[in-house]
Amino acid sequence: MKFTGNRALILGGSCDLAITLARRMIEAELFPILTYRNEKGREYISKNLKDCQKKHSSVYLEFGNRDSIDSLLHQTGDDIDFMVDFAQGNFESLVASADIEDVYSYFAENVSFRAEVVKRVARIMMKKKKGRLVFISSAAAKRPNPGQGFYAAAKLASEAIYKNLGLELGSHGITTVTLRPGYIDSGRGKKFIQDHSKEVINKVPIKRALTKKEVAEAILFYLSNRSAGFNATEISMDGGLTAGK
Amino acid sequence: MDILEEIKKILVEILDIENHIITPEAYLIRELGAESIDLLELAVAINSEFNIDVNDDEIFLRKLRQYVTEAKQQNNDLLQYLVEKLPFLSRKRLENIMADLEGGPTLKVKDLISYIEWQKS
Repeated sequence: MKFTGNRALILGGSCDLAITLARRMIEAELFPILTYRNEKGREYISKNLKDCQKKHSSVYLEFGNRDSIDSLLHQTGDDIDFMVDFAQGNFESLVASADIEDVYSYFAENVSFRAEVVKRVARIMMKKKKGRLVFISSAAAKRPNPGQGFYAAAKLASEAIYKNLGLELGSHGITTVTLRPGYIDSGRGKKFIQDHSKEVINKVPIKRALTKKEVAEAILFYLSNRSAGFNATEISMDGGLTAGK
Repeated sequence: MDILEEIKKILVEILDIENHIITPEAYLIRELGAESIDLLELAVAINSEFNIDVNDDEIFLRKLRQYVTEAKQQNNDLLQYLVEKLPFLSRKRLENIMADLEGGPTLKVKDLISYIEWQKS
């Protein structure tokens, strides 16, 4: 696969999927810059990519902390060709029982803050007249389970931000894709699948969860020149989970 | 650095227009035909070329009419209020803008220059 650019910012860089993606990027001769929100995340990235230390970097970014955007962009030297956005706080609550203060802060962190990051990164990309952004949404955006209302709402709002960016700046070489993965045998999904294994897998037409490797491979494809025709759109990658009733 | 000449270079590229029609008195939207996406590109180019922070709402006078409404609602001296809100524009320029409001978007090339000079000072 060929890529137009080299430097790839990965938001939410300390999750397993981000690490897997970073490894594939390094193999593809891209330079991943992974964000972490605390020391534990920094150490996790460092430990899992220790065999390729000079081929990646990690930077602090805490969703909700606006000062951290300045330091992030300063450290990236205003030089970003790609952005992959995994960052998302978890918030499970029935709509009618949610703590309303938590709702306000959840949307501030997961929608408004993301909008600021997207705006700032898009302006950097405009200077280079190119850029590709992939937002990692969720099958829950299309079909949430009870308790996922706010999570799904934040994902859908974020999808709209990315979609409009691709719509507005496509003619300036900046394009976007949203990927909606279903159950992945990784991170938060792994425990859920372990706890509800039969029930979960039976819902998926391909009768298995996605592996993190195949999701990372798909993301890499959507960053590559081969996928240049995809813009301002959402793509489901869920084994058919959300296709039927 | 001649700010006007730099601005001209940027506008020629973004708007695909002839250099000679870009004067300090030219209206950016009314006459030169700049649209919202062009203004975004212009803001990014000014940030890059002059190495200054650009607030799109300020430099493109986007909140001008909102400020006029606020001043009236709060019974403030309109010109004084605008001087405080848009400190990069002279009182005389603001008087001209107020007299020109009904004609459409009042932003001129010279307002961009004022903003850049103010940010660099």
